[in-house]
Amino acid sequence: MTQIAAGRPAIQPAAEEPRSTHSSVRRRSLTAYGLLAPSLFGVIVFLGIPVILVVVFSFLKWNLLTAPTFVGLTNYLDVFQHEGAGHALLVTFYYFLLNIPVQTALALGMALLMNRRGRFTALIRVLCVLPYLATPVAMGVVWQWIFAPQTGVVNTLLHFVGVSGPDWLNSPGWSMPVVAFANIWQFVGYNMLFFLAGLQAIPPMLYEASAIDGASTVQRFFRVTLPLLRPTMLFVLVTGAIGSFQVFDSVYVMTNGGPGTSTTVMNMLIYQNGFIGFRIGAASALSVILFAVILVVTLIQFRYFNRRTVYELV
Amino acid sequence: MTTLTKAPAARLARTTTATPPVTRGVRTFLYVIVLLAIAAIFITPYLFSVMAAFKPLSEIQADRAWDLPSHPTFDNFVTIFTQYKFGTFLLNTAGVTIIITIGQVVFSLLGAYAFARIQFPGREAIFWGYLSMLMVPNVVTMIPLYVMMSKVGLTDTYWALFLPYVFGTPYTIFLMRQYIQSIPSEVIEAARLDGCSELGVLRRVVVPMSRPIIMTATIIAVIFSWNNFLWPLISTSSNDLQVLSVGVANFNSNFTSQWNLVLAGSLVALIPMVILFVLFQKHIVNSVNLSGANR
Repeated sequence: MTQIAAGRPAIQPAAEEPRSTHSSVRRRSLTAYGLLAPSLFGVIVFLGIPVILVVVFSFLKWNLLTAPTFVGLTNYLDVFQHEGAGHALLVTFYYFLLNIPVQTALALGMALLMNRRGRFTALIRVLCVLPYLATPVAMGVVWQWIFAPQTGVVNTLLHFVGVSGPDWLNSPGWSMPVVAFANIWQFVGYNMLFFLAGLQAIPPMLYEASAIDGASTVQRFFRVTLPLLRPTMLFVLVTGAIGSFQVFDSVYVMTNGGPGTSTTVMNMLIYQNGFIGFRIGAASALSVILFAVILVVTLIQFRYFNRRTVYELV
Repeated sequence: MTTLTKAPAARLARTTTATPPVTRGVRTFLYVIVLLAIAAIFITPYLFSVMAAFKPLSEIQADRAWDLPSHPTFDNFVTIFTQYKFGTFLLNTAGVTIIITIGQVVFSLLGAYAFARIQFPGREAIFWGYLSMLMVPNVVTMIPLYVMMSKVGLTDTYWALFLPYVFGTPYTIFLMRQYIQSIPSEVIEAARLDGCSELGVLRRVVVPMSRPIIMTATIIAVIFSWNNFLWPLISTSSNDLQVLSVGVANFNSNFTSQWNLVLAGSLVALIPMVILFVLFQKHIVNSVNLSGANR
């Protein structure tokens, strides 16, 4: 490394690079590839090759112990017919729908509320971000306790007002909303920060101009704030959706996919097939399907949000 | 409280001169109440679990969660550290987090500098290759990674825990490249003219000028590796190699309703991140802005 790095000629203005000598170009390339080597190795071995392998594996019947056999598209049919992939996709969409609209709306609402100066507001803003760092597994344990049927905080509170609360995480109707709630709690403050940054980038003169034109607060929100937050909205929705479709940790701890299969999301099904049943082919096929779904949802969001004009501001 | 609320109150006074002072006072009061309620939602789960972790099981079952422990005890922590291997879990997690963080920050920085500041054949193609990998969700590579690791005999070793993440991520490299590109080229050219090698430029110019993005990458890596769960869960099986997230999950399923131990265990995983947050909250908030603005 030192040898490569030391040999660089001193004078090398960027504009004259095409004219530089052969050996200096070679030396520069060597330096560059030397610097890139570790990450290139990592990206190829731990990302690139696995992406190819997951597609290859999805055509195999393989339990890691006996030799794999090529079965064509059988796994893709099998996971729908026997492993409940269709149901898992619906459950994953349900989680996404419970999670993302509420989380995004709350994050935007909180950002609007807290978009002002003052130390008190700043302190509260910071506290809202704290859950972003919480280990989902550990927090899942805490939520499990808070939503416990008899001794849990939620049901104790409900008991006070004369309501007997359900066994939240063991009820097919409530388990998924509770898991979604845990996720919203964790990430709403984090997403609020993006909206705050977006709000602060809106020039105040636009609000002044619309106020002079007689726009009400509501009109200003829908005609000025919301259109100008479109890039932020896209970012928050896309990253939120990608995360939602891969949810695993909190589901694993809080419900383990149950009761029944009411919270068996795609990632749970992949885990069960791959690491409990050791059906590598089926688990790979499920991974490819999930990848495709995530890509399609991301593309739809991009198309929707780029469809209407985004105001260009310098 | 009064001193804290002064600022918003003063602001309101300036902007809403037309409204009578009483309305203004009520409004400020409501604003403060709403904000405190929001903050409470985010803090109380932590508070409840902290209090429960210092209560014996009988008290957890008999008391309400918001009752202070009547006889605070460290027994739960003593139990999980002496009779179960939470000490090992904690060390494993800390070790893996440190290795992954250093690796990701250093290797990403090297790669990002090459992409941002050195002309070399194949640069655009490789960079697009990295960008395309940004689209790949973690779960997609999980099965093949496991198969690869088990074929080379690395599953259930310490190596498995950090190897896939230690070489830098396309995302961090992308963030750093964007940042390094914003460093004025005159500064870098001046250093080169003064006879600095590329590594010298990197060390003496780029690193000092890229502190915010290095901080961001560090925070992203620490949070990721501390909280990482699915990969450690599948890639290790022996008790001695468990990280905290896996340890807590296993503990939870083995000791259902022993809330005193389970909550003490989860607290061991949660508290270091709270400390990190208290120490670096300004950087964490900034890092969110940096990582959002650059995408």
